Amino acid sequence: METLDRPAIRKLMGEVLAVQGKTLPADDAAKLADIGFRSLDFSELALRVEDEIGDELNFEAAGLRSIETIGDVLDLLVEIQGQ
Amino acid sequence: MSDFEPVPPASVVLVSGASRGLGLAIVADLLERGVKVAAFARTVTPELEKLASKYPEEAHFGSVDVTDEKAAQAFVKEVEARLGVIDGLVNNAAIGQDSLHVHTSSDRIAQIIETNLTAPLVLTRFVLRRLIGKGLKGRVVNVTSICGQRGYQGLVAYSATKGGLDAATRSLARELGGRVLVNAVAPGFFASEMSAVLGANQLESIARRTPSGAMTTPEDVVPTVRMLLLEQTNINGQSIVIDGGGSI
Repeated sequence: METLDRPAIRKLMGEVLAVQGKTLPADDAAKLADIGFRSLDFSELALRVEDEIGDELNFEAAGLRSIETIGDVLDLLVEIQGQ
Repeated sequence: MSDFEPVPPASVVLVSGASRGLGLAIVADLLERGVKVAAFARTVTPELEKLASKYPEEAHFGSVDVTDEKAAQAFVKEVEARLGVIDGLVNNAAIGQDSLHVHTSSDRIAQIIETNLTAPLVLTRFVLRRLIGKGLKGRVVNVTSICGQRGYQGLVAYSATKGGLDAATRSLARELGGRVLVNAVAPGFFASEMSAVLGANQLESIARRTPSGAMTTPEDVVPTVRMLLLEQTNINGQSIVIDGGGSI
């Protein structure tokens, strides 16, 4: 399965936020709550990653509850692709 | 003058999904009250084995996957030979879900529907055919969930199955014309299950928002299941919510 690396996922994340008129901070430690990135935005990002890699990413919601920062989002999506 | 004859208390009860939690608590409670109880689960746990030793004449347990139709039907016949005709059925076996719908595979959705909705309908059909064919009366209790009536994220397919079972409960009660009483219990979230996915603070917050101040435990649900199986109440076709008022 083709996978996307962190920079590629970061670029897609920026696109998800850009549609909402928001800018993705450069700092991976930036809090999702502060930039208004919600769980449905994570779903949109995951679906965009799916489009790029041509495969479904199915996963439990438990992992979503612990993401707080941009870095957490990138880590989780890299991890999910590896499963 | 009515020729109404009440449905007698169940004397031989089959409980699916009895290895732990609510299913196990229902089995233990009924055995304590002298009811003959058959139960199956994918695995016969030490807790069930202990009950089998304590009640050798009244209990009959087996390892059966509820989605294995042939195995479940063979088990029903086995119970009939050992304890008598099953006149009480508790459909408790189910699998859970904790994933957003768009991130749940179609295979997983099919598996949830097969286990939580198709399997209990098929098992109920088989038990009823044997009961009605012998001219007997009986009782069915479906274990559904508050998810069948209220929306919760991460539980789309699960909720669909529980709502489906609630709907089947009503239609079956109507179809069976009082010869078999069919009801459902719809528990709120069990603290034991939620603790696996939520933190202590979130659990406390849910308990605070619940009018009774406490989340549901299997022990809270057991008395209602017992009543529906054993008491003369004329309750039929109902889904009884047991959630401390959390959904009101």
